[in-house]
Amino acid sequence: MLTYIARRLLTLIPMAIAISFLIYLGLDLTPGDAVSHMIPPDVIGTMDPERLDELRESLGLGKPFLVRYWIWITGVLQGDFGYSLAGGVQISKIFLDRLPATLELSCAALVISTILGSILGTISALTRGTFADQALTVVGMLGVSIPEFFFGLVAILVFALNLGWLPVGGRTLPGYDSFWDRLPHLIMPALVLSIMMTAGVMRYARSSMLDALSRDFIRTARSKGMPEWRVNLLHGFRVALTPVIVLIGFRLPVLIGGSVIIEQVFQWPGIGKEFLSAVRSQDYPLVMMVALFSVMAVLLASLIVDILTALIDPRVRLGD
Amino acid sequence: MTDRTPGPDPELALSVRDLKTYIYANNRCNRALDGVSFDIHRGKTLCIVGESGCGKSVTAASILQLLPELSRIEEGEIVYHGAEGPVNIERLKRNGRRMRAIRGKEIAMIFQDPMTALNPVYSIGFQIKEMLLYHTRLGKRARHAKAIDLLRSMGIPLPEKRVREYPHLYSGGMRQRAMIAIAMSCDPRILIADEPTTALDVTIQAQIFELMDTLKREQGTAIMLITHDMGVVAELADDVAVMYMGQIVEAGPVGQVLRNPLHPYTRALLESIPVLGRGKNQQIRAIPGQTPDPYDRPTGCQFAERCRYRVDACAEMPPETQVSSSHRVRCWRHREFMADAAE
Ligand SMILES: Nc1ncnc2c1ncn2[C@@H]1O[C@H](COP(=O)(O)OP(=O)(O)OP(=O)(O)O)[C@@H](O)[C@H]1O
Ligand SMILES: [Mg+2]
Repeated sequence: MLTYIARRLLTLIPMAIAISFLIYLGLDLTPGDAVSHMIPPDVIGTMDPERLDELRESLGLGKPFLVRYWIWITGVLQGDFGYSLAGGVQISKIFLDRLPATLELSCAALVISTILGSILGTISALTRGTFADQALTVVGMLGVSIPEFFFGLVAILVFALNLGWLPVGGRTLPGYDSFWDRLPHLIMPALVLSIMMTAGVMRYARSSMLDALSRDFIRTARSKGMPEWRVNLLHGFRVALTPVIVLIGFRLPVLIGGSVIIEQVFQWPGIGKEFLSAVRSQDYPLVMMVALFSVMAVLLASLIVDILTALIDPRVRLGD
Repeated sequence: MTDRTPGPDPELALSVRDLKTYIYANNRCNRALDGVSFDIHRGKTLCIVGESGCGKSVTAASILQLLPELSRIEEGEIVYHGAEGPVNIERLKRNGRRMRAIRGKEIAMIFQDPMTALNPVYSIGFQIKEMLLYHTRLGKRARHAKAIDLLRSMGIPLPEKRVREYPHLYSGGMRQRAMIAIAMSCDPRILIADEPTTALDVTIQAQIFELMDTLKREQGTAIMLITHDMGVVAELADDVAVMYMGQIVEAGPVGQVLRNPLHPYTRALLESIPVLGRGKNQQIRAIPGQTPDPYDRPTGCQFAERCRYRVDACAEMPPETQVSSSHRVRCWRHREFMADAAE
């Protein structure tokens, strides 16, 4: 198992290099150069152009692209992410500030959609053809097709403004910092963010479960005289679970994309919200770092999915 | 029905009477079993033979009520003669408690394809032990020990290690042994084996059959063996039932049926296989024509279209006729064939 993980990690490295290279290429093609990216803009304005040229030379901007890439990537690896153009703040500091909020929101949404989606999908499969199944299918279709910001606005309108049950937005109030204080703020954005994913997981879990239930080993399990719950859950659901987990891994980019919008709707102080304002103000270094970071997150997620699948499915675990 | 001493057959294990199982698909009805009757006895093997699609698997599935979703036992009865007296299986709720108490414990089943019949995500040991969990009072350790014993008795090497392995590490023959180990784990009175060796090669086939024969002799298990191989029938069967299109066209003790086949379909089946020892010049004749559409069956004799001996009477369904105490046939002209054989 450990060698399996190690091998998967090794295959990630070339991918990560390729992607960082593409992103750096993008950064290089945008207007402005490294000097304007590294020095806080307010300082640049006051600097003498000749000084700047000297600086460019000393930084090796005359050097070939590949060499510059090398310098950049080693910097990133050491935690030197460069500066945001707006305000000249260190990008690493922005990440430190904003990342926990984003992680909290996406993890909550991930957990909700995985659990809720699998349960609803399984119920749907076990009651197939009945009213419950059809109702769930319709709800699932709506969930997949209606954009999340719409749900977000409706939720704010109903639960925050009309009913006053939950706060309109934000992550916390000043002075209230414990998780339990923050929980009411988290509920709405997390639920709304998880809607689309829940619907997707549900539909997938349903078909995966139906597929599992039609397999021969289900009949074998029944022929042993075991009760239906055991046949359906231990034999059916357990086998249906593997593809569902793989799907969730593939859907993570959707979650990341969704969190950008949901953070905006709910004024959630995360990376996604930062990303939107960075795009709007053409803050390329920040945009690039967020992009690089998201891609890495997806890569890492795919690794975790692989490990989970291996843990769940003995054929993968022992098959190599 | 509550009579505990059925005179002529003290060893009767299961009797099926006039069983009709219909399968519904696309709003059409497939009369997959159309009046099937047979008995299974303790310590005997009943072989059911017939071409693909004739209803062998549906017969087996009906006995354990493991039928596809849109299907139903419409008529007839399936009586299991257990230690606690006869039980009418067709009246039990499909997955109800009483049906489940019979499955595995009283009547166990081995399926056609060992590659797909085992759950890939559980170890072989787990799949044996869960049977013991439901039908015995053994504790955890005892179940594990029993699982190892079962694998050993099925001739699987290193059972202590193998018991923890997953099905994909087992070869086809070993999986089928594991399936038999599962089926035999609770000492069932009846073992139903649905073409247990079609997916396996010949030597392994012979080993599996030997295993089943031993079980029959040593445990007195009643075996219902489904096959389409007449050679297997000749070797293993005590009784044989020949099926065609959802009906038993001829049934009886294996010696009588093979030596003295009275139904043209039985004869055709026997002619369609080579017989060892008869030399190279023996005539092998494939059965001409095709089986009718199961959704649109002829009203008369099902085999008439393909039959060399067809007469006008065949447009009507021939009744099952008892030609001796144990030999019966469903053909209008069986008397002539009997006379032929007597000459
Ligand atoms: N799950 C199912 N759904 C619909 N029809 C079925 C199903 N299973 C069997 N049938 C139909 O029932 C009839 C009998 O099929 P059965 O599987 O019993 O044949 P068989 O004798 O076991 O054949 P084989 O030798 O190929 O296993 C066939 O007409 C078949 O089409
Ligand atoms: Mg079959």
